[in-house]
Amino acid sequence: MKTIVDDIRTRFIVEWEHQQREDLRQIGVRPGTVVPLLGWLKLHSPFVQLTHMSAVDWIEEGELQLTYLLTDPVGMRSLMVCTRIDREEATMESVHALWPQAVTYEQEINEMFGICFPGSPRQGVPFILEGWDDMPPMRRDFDTVEHVHAHHPSRPGREHTDPRAYIGRVFGERGFLHDDD
Amino acid sequence: MESKKLPVLPVSAPPEGSVPHAPLGEGCFLGETQRPKAPKLREALATIKNWFRANSLWVMAYGTGCGSIELRPLTTARFDMERFGLAMRPTPRQSNVLIISGYLAVKSLKRVIRAYEQMPSPKWVVGLGSCTINGGMYWDSYNTINQLDLYLPVDTYIAGCMPRPEALLAGFGYLMEKIKKGEANGWHHYLENLDWYKENQKKVITAWDLPDYNW
Amino acid sequence: MPLATKILWSIVGVFGALAYGLAIGGVIRKVMARIQGRIGPPVWQPYIDLGKNLSLRTATHHGVMSFIAPIFRAAGGIGVFLLVPVVIGVPALENFSFSGDLLMVMYFIFFGSLGMALGAAEAGHPHSPIGISRGLAQMSSYELPFALAVVALAAQAGSFSIREIILAQQGGWLHWNLFANPLAAAAAFLAFLGMNMYAPFNIVGAPQEIPVGPPTEFNSQFLSLLMVGRATFAVAKIVLYMDLFLGGAHSLPEALVKTFLIYFWSIFVGAVFPRFRTEQSIRFFLGWPTLAGIAGVLLVIFSH
Repeated sequence: MKTIVDDIRTRFIVEWEHQQREDLRQIGVRPGTVVPLLGWLKLHSPFVQLTHMSAVDWIEEGELQLTYLLTDPVGMRSLMVCTRIDREEATMESVHALWPQAVTYEQEINEMFGICFPGSPRQGVPFILEGWDDMPPMRRDFDTVEHVHAHHPSRPGREHTDPRAYIGRVFGERGFLHDDD
Repeated sequence: MESKKLPVLPVSAPPEGSVPHAPLGEGCFLGETQRPKAPKLREALATIKNWFRANSLWVMAYGTGCGSIELRPLTTARFDMERFGLAMRPTPRQSNVLIISGYLAVKSLKRVIRAYEQMPSPKWVVGLGSCTINGGMYWDSYNTINQLDLYLPVDTYIAGCMPRPEALLAGFGYLMEKIKKGEANGWHHYLENLDWYKENQKKVITAWDLPDYNW
Repeated sequence: MPLATKILWSIVGVFGALAYGLAIGGVIRKVMARIQGRIGPPVWQPYIDLGKNLSLRTATHHGVMSFIAPIFRAAGGIGVFLLVPVVIGVPALENFSFSGDLLMVMYFIFFGSLGMALGAAEAGHPHSPIGISRGLAQMSSYELPFALAVVALAAQAGSFSIREIILAQQGGWLHWNLFANPLAAAAAFLAFLGMNMYAPFNIVGAPQEIPVGPPTEFNSQFLSLLMVGRATFAVAKIVLYMDLFLGGAHSLPEALVKTFLIYFWSIFVGAVFPRFRTEQSIRFFLGWPTLAGIAGVLLVIFSH
């Protein structure tokens, strides 16, 4: 694993890296190098399979993170290639020429996060949200509760608890998600 | 079969004085109600028919949410729904019961409406799990409906998250009792108040491209 | 026997066949359930299903041919039944047997499926034509060993009349064609597996694959008519096999026992086998069953 990341470093600029598990390594690169890097990995490394593709909204930093999970099917190892793109002009090069299955991921990310992949087929074609007229729902400034109250009538009599307050009361001040200690 | 009475939530009623839907025509669909009518012979005939209908419920083999995982054990040796005459049918044309098993995304709702309207009358809807009653754990989800009986007429609710297969069998027992008594008239309610249901459906399905009724 | 009485008895016979066919269907479901370790539905469940389907209301219109298709199917079943003598020596239960009825029966076996093909195609569901094309392909392939077996029996008895073939088998169970011409019997009983369309030859209905196949779009009364056709056709087939290979029957209880045993030959095979693919099924019938049929014909030619 180490040697492949070193190999990558001689060819591409790797901004950061992190060993998540013994068989899972993350590297962060700039958006412009993602597609050349993935193409090189597919041709010259054992990481030939695109297993997953996802996005995270870092609203505080004004960025969206795209993650490509590549797998080495022989060595049972995975490599995560992460990149950050601007949140307002969310555009990314498509990788569907490398892996045809990326079309579906890109279609879904386009629908859920509003990231545009120019050239990828089925961009803007509804994947799950048919007739959606709001902002992409996985962006963190999307107000789910407000949307639900506007669109989905619900049976009266059910009381609403604020999740943040409820989790704080049950699990203490920090909540129960503390994996960084 | 031992059928315990399950608590059933009141079905949301359409507004008072809603007009029965006329354009469907008398002869083809609305002619016969399940409610026994005045003449003795017709009443007896309806009772016999209802007995047949209740003892041979064919369930549409279609799952919308996580609840459908509880339907599969029903066909196995442990629960064996076939001994009550319940069978799975893969086509809506031959099904009598549509089970909405758990949460219902708006995209699925469109398909469910289509399947429901293609079923021959009389037909029944079973709402399985809390999600169909009040949204369950998907209450504040942006893409799932919260209350099933706004869009389809529900005859039996089975509460729980998820209800065990035993609860499902009990729910079917309840539905069978209801059919035998001639009280499971959800399909008739749907046709009588088609405008109200269609209005609700169109409100939530914004990309409406279905015909007015899917024959 | 006057014609009016004859017609009356035929009607009684058809309804009897229907009742018996549905009861067999119930027993099959029960047997299958017991094999799978379940309790299973009551034996009279097919009657309830039939009554249920009759008390549903249809709302569909696919075209004239799809309305006629279930009638073709039922007519195929009833037609075969009416030509086959059930109990020999009892005029009321000998139906409309005449010289050369075996050829007519072989035509009628095809009749229902051809009508169903026209109707199912018009209903428009993609699974229907798939099921129909599989069914017709399989039918053409099992027809070959069956026809060879029939030719062997006809040559042996010197007649194409089912009645004559039964009469040629009298005088003890060793005279039955099952033992008199075992090769033809083997060919015909292997073809019977395909005719009944239980596993491994259930490629027409093919659960989990093309869910119900041809009757996908048929509901309510149409479906009940298909059930009627299926039940009577099943009875007609087993009665035909009883007449051809098990020496017919001299009383109704004897007929019931023999037909029941013949039918359960395909059930017990079906309970333990997985499904063939279409081309495997066709290849099977064109292999050993056909060779057995040819050998059966040769046996007759060289021994007479």
